[in-house]
Amino acid sequence: MIIVENLSKIFESKTERVAAVDGVGFTVEAGEMVTLLGPSGCGKTTTLRCVAGLERPNDGRIQVDGAPVVDCPAKTFVPPHLRNLGMVFQSYAIWPHMTVFDNVAYALEGKKLARAEIRRRANEALELVQLDGFADRPAPRLSGGQQQRVAIARALAGSPSALLFDEPLSNLDAKLRSEMRSELRRLQQQVGLTSIYVTHDQSEALAISDWIIVMRAGRIVERGRPTEIYRAPKSLFTAQFIGNTNLIPGTVKAAAQGGGPVRVETAMGTMAGLDPNNDLKVGEAVRLSIRPEDLAITGAGAPGAENALTGRVRVATFQGSAVEAELAAGEETIQCHFGRDVELAQGAEINLTFDPLSAVVLRDEALEDELDAA
Amino acid sequence: MRRLAALRHGLANWRTVSLCLLIVLLIYQVIIPFLMITWASLKTARPGDAAFMEWGFTLANYVRAWADAAFIEATINTLWFSLTSTVMAFAGGLFLSWVVDRTNTPFARFIGMMTLARIIIPGVLITVSWILLISPNIGMINAVLEWLTGIKAVFNVYTFWGMVWVHGIEMIPLAYLLISSAFQAMDPRLEEASTMTGAGTFRTLRRISLPLIAPAIGAALLLLFISTVETFEVPLLIGGRADVRVYTTEVFFNTARVPTDWGLASTYSMALLLISVVLLYFYFRLLRHGERYQTVTGKDYKPRRIDLGPWKYVTCVASLLLVFMITGLPFLIMLYASLLPEDSVSMIEPLEMLTLENFQALFNEQDAFDPLWNSTLLGLGSATAVMLVVSAIAYYVHKTRIPGRKILDFLAFASIALPSVVLGTAFLWFYLLVPLPVLGTLWIIGLAYLTKFMPFALRFVSSSMQQIHVELEEAAQVAGVPWWKNFFRIFLPLLKPGLLAGWFWVMVHAFRELTIALMLSRADNKTAAVVIYDLWENGSFQALSAFGVMMFTVLIVLVTISHAISRRYGIEEQT
Ligand SMILES: Nc1ncnc2c1ncn2[C@@H]1O[C@H](COP(=O)(O)OP(=O)(O)O)[C@@H](O)[C@H]1O
Ligand SMILES: [Mg+2]
Repeated sequence: MIIVENLSKIFESKTERVAAVDGVGFTVEAGEMVTLLGPSGCGKTTTLRCVAGLERPNDGRIQVDGAPVVDCPAKTFVPPHLRNLGMVFQSYAIWPHMTVFDNVAYALEGKKLARAEIRRRANEALELVQLDGFADRPAPRLSGGQQQRVAIARALAGSPSALLFDEPLSNLDAKLRSEMRSELRRLQQQVGLTSIYVTHDQSEALAISDWIIVMRAGRIVERGRPTEIYRAPKSLFTAQFIGNTNLIPGTVKAAAQGGGPVRVETAMGTMAGLDPNNDLKVGEAVRLSIRPEDLAITGAGAPGAENALTGRVRVATFQGSAVEAELAAGEETIQCHFGRDVELAQGAEINLTFDPLSAVVLRDEALEDELDAA
Repeated sequence: MRRLAALRHGLANWRTVSLCLLIVLLIYQVIIPFLMITWASLKTARPGDAAFMEWGFTLANYVRAWADAAFIEATINTLWFSLTSTVMAFAGGLFLSWVVDRTNTPFARFIGMMTLARIIIPGVLITVSWILLISPNIGMINAVLEWLTGIKAVFNVYTFWGMVWVHGIEMIPLAYLLISSAFQAMDPRLEEASTMTGAGTFRTLRRISLPLIAPAIGAALLLLFISTVETFEVPLLIGGRADVRVYTTEVFFNTARVPTDWGLASTYSMALLLISVVLLYFYFRLLRHGERYQTVTGKDYKPRRIDLGPWKYVTCVASLLLVFMITGLPFLIMLYASLLPEDSVSMIEPLEMLTLENFQALFNEQDAFDPLWNSTLLGLGSATAVMLVVSAIAYYVHKTRIPGRKILDFLAFASIALPSVVLGTAFLWFYLLVPLPVLGTLWIIGLAYLTKFMPFALRFVSSSMQQIHVELEEAAQVAGVPWWKNFFRIFLPLLKPGLLAGWFWVMVHAFRELTIALMLSRADNKTAAVVIYDLWENGSFQALSAFGVMMFTVLIVLVTISHAISRRYGIEEQT
């Protein structure tokens, strides 16, 4: 189990002062995979490196399996090599002057084990990542994906109390990435390792995490299960960062009552959606977030009906398993995701509706350009 | 379509012809000097005698050299001088690169910049300025120490260790450059990965950091060693009086004295050549080995700086002092000496005695500026010629599949193994044999410079050339664009950074070169560096200093102008 409390890290140079991590706190339960997700530059790597001990935080406390490794108020700092953590780097960091086997066995050398035991465990780790045939290869003579596996085997070999992953898949090509993604998840569950996983790729985060922590500018925005984060994001930032969504601007017309939907006045009429924070007040500027796949085609509805939109088809593309369409509805562009049997002619006018339970109403906020950077 | 085919055909022919011309040029420029020296070393007849050209060889020269105690002594001196200077330069370079790149020492960037700024002060001026500082008679530092303590001539530059000191100091910037690029090529993540597996600082250092950096460091040491073996200024100006003979000076004196000892000169040349070839072989092997260890990524590299606490002021003062000795002191002492009255015999004079008369004398003398003009011409001319030849070579080697292009690469690169004294000797003798009217003109020096600087310039151009994809050119060809338009519109703009950086490098080095220019100098083709040597021989250190200041000023003007030009064409990063 890892507990991080009130972690802060400030990078200071002559010209500027960057609060890379600004009061972050979270808990990783034993055997769980927690993902730090956010656009690049939001402080994920720095957080992870503070846990690893490669960065010395300015404030906060970190505990690993009950033992404090960092306690800034008490000036405790356990150096990284005594923390018994495994880490997989974004750039693999495979030692090029060693063979595959040596790379893995090196992680066991400090543990006062017999030669034969080191050999056995290193081979076991290589087997786990399916590289048992490559033990004697010089490490640089491997493909990117294989190097990544060596890095994982090396991190696993020393039986660390937790594994730290820093964007481990970002240097792989798309196909390999999705393969490795499921394999990583399988491995992590098989070995039952407590893990922190850093990524800026939301689909990766959704696929492999037990919990997702969304970060923005050095702070935590929200934390939740992947399904919650996707279905009912609690902030506009999360809604927009994770998956595709339509964000329709409006103002609150009637606040939620007893867990029911809020009503929002928009340019396209009144719409209803859930208020995940349960604190919206009448008159507040909000955005209604509807996922493209939650929109369904209906016949002409009664004028003035709730949750009804009309749009003109701008483009429709057949994707095999689905049809994706972009509609023009007044000023807004609406993205839709229909079943594969829907036929849409360009320029056709269609009526859409959605379930109020699938839409969320979020307080409007300025989102600057952070998301473009991701 | 047919027009296109014809065009391609014509182009192919044109290319083959020019390739052959290039190969011939390179054989003439590079292979002949090698042959010339080897041939002469196997002959007892002198160039010009009929017997010299006959088929028939002897090892008499080698036997004679081997039996000569002076040869053994020169061998030991050369190796020992190279080893000690290398160690000294390496230690200094290591210290500076650590301070500048890895610690939080104040003024680190300034220290790094000033170290590299020294590279534009001509080597001969550095040597002379250290003579002015610590020679037993006139040395400024000695004079000050005598005034303070009453002890005479505390330091003596005219000794073996004096040579090591001056040459070691002179090579520190090169050592710094090599060492810091070796460190920068290493990904700090590799060390962090070791730490994360539970390895402490010492095991990480022993098992990861040192093995990874070793090839690059080994290569750096070898390069420093080779540079010392081939160096000429310090052995000539200091070693002569210190009676420490090394290969380079033996080649020079055996060639320059009357009557010339052709046999010994060529034997020493061969020994020099042999050392240089063997060491270069190992150098390139290490270099390739080191490159294999360089990880491709390093995308999130940020050097970790060690917080030295209060010690940072100690490192700051120490490295500023060192940099002052490397870059500041030589220039200042030269400037000061140029202002001393002509008849003064001491370096310490009251301030009101300082005068501009040395400069006045310089301006009054007719022809005083000819050597400066010669150096400028040589700098600009050889830089341009070298870049033209080298671009053509790089084009064939990297952008065509014509058979024979590999020979070009090899030939152009081979001359790196020719030490300057050997090159100078070979050119001198060759043009004594061949009745081309170049002896005693700038042309002969320029031709030698073409051979000398080609391998370095080739490196600049090759790396930019490799970045241009073949498709770019083929696309243009398919579009029916004539090749010359293609060249000017596509190649030249993309090559510009490499071309300008290489041109700049050759210009500076050709301007200040001493060894070759001295060996090939006659009355009318003296360069600035040669005049410095002449003035030093005459013992007039005031006039010498004044001329040195002028030489340095002209170089700075040239550097500034060409820098401004390359700025305008947008290549800030490369130089
Ligand atoms: N060693 C460092 N020195 C100075 N600033 C840094 C350093 N490392 C990270 N930063 C800054 O801290 C912020 C967070 O960086 P990082 O944790 O790497 O972000 P992420 O991993 O989320 O992309 C960025 O603004 C980055 O520029
Ligand atoms: Mg990162």
